[in-house]
Amino acid sequence: MKINTLEKIIKNKQNKNEFAIVTNLSTGETELFKRNTLIAKNLEKYLNQINDFFRLKKNGVIEGTEIFVETYRKPIKVIVVGAVHIAQYFANFAKNLNFEILIIDPRGYFVSNQRFPDVKIINKWPEEAFKEIETNENTALIALTHDPKIDDPALQHALKKKFYYIGALGSKKTHENRCQRLKEGGFSDKQVNLIHGPIGIKLGGRSAPEIALSIIAQLVSETYKNND
Amino acid sequence: MKNTFDEKILEEAFDWVKSNQKVVLVTVIQTWGSSPRQTGSRMIVNEKGDFSGSVSGGCVESSVIRECIELIKKDKPFKKLEFKVSNEKAWDIGLACGGELAVYLEQIKS
Repeated sequence: MKINTLEKIIKNKQNKNEFAIVTNLSTGETELFKRNTLIAKNLEKYLNQINDFFRLKKNGVIEGTEIFVETYRKPIKVIVVGAVHIAQYFANFAKNLNFEILIIDPRGYFVSNQRFPDVKIINKWPEEAFKEIETNENTALIALTHDPKIDDPALQHALKKKFYYIGALGSKKTHENRCQRLKEGGFSDKQVNLIHGPIGIKLGGRSAPEIALSIIAQLVSETYKNND
Repeated sequence: MKNTFDEKILEEAFDWVKSNQKVVLVTVIQTWGSSPRQTGSRMIVNEKGDFSGSVSGGCVESSVIRECIELIKKDKPFKKLEFKVSNEKAWDIGLACGGELAVYLEQIKS
């Protein structure tokens, strides 16, 4: 592989593009395939097979050829509400995973870049912030402020948009009150029960890094459960 | 499946090349049976045998590293290798897990 091809691959990864690395195993040549753009002439005949790899979310050798395809799909978007201590550890753990992390917090002091290097932060109230974020059933929400003014609107948005994972920090009591408010706001028992609260799997620890770890564990587990 | 991991091996490979190391990129291109690493898994090896990443659970890495050093010495651009379970070599390069895999070695060139 040429170093400038490697550089292009890294740029595409950073920009969260959907693309494939297509390697001719018998010549060692590598081409980049970008989804939904014009395709290089020599790859045209493999277009259907490359798209199949994207659809099946797989990598592999095209049958009967010496062409190896490695696909890169859009990472799962994880929206964290609350630029709190736990969020710092969460963002740090998540660096080694393929998630796109966004942090929302309307409180100025919390959102400094020094606290969150290399993480996209939106310093707005959730209602405003969600206007500029595309969300869908492949999005996850982690609510960490346990302040109803900030968490509740985000939870409502996530329930309406059917996020595949919704978690909210807070004690059992806090969570009961939260569920009550959401039900009074018109959400059904079934919808409210979709919220993981108290958030995270039971590890036993109560420190910020341990809670962050328990949230990451639950998020990854639910991501694979929601297999498609 | 949705993959939630990103091992950043390609990024590391780029840094190694930029610091004047000779780098071979190794990619799992096919697996059969209960191979521990998925197709697309990667490792990198330099001319001294330093490596990062993995293509199995530690079963074939030593052998892959030797092949990579050879590739650099002979200045060959690429090579395909297959690993199978074999009794006489089971201690050396066989896969304890009973899987089989094919890997592709390629030098990163400016």
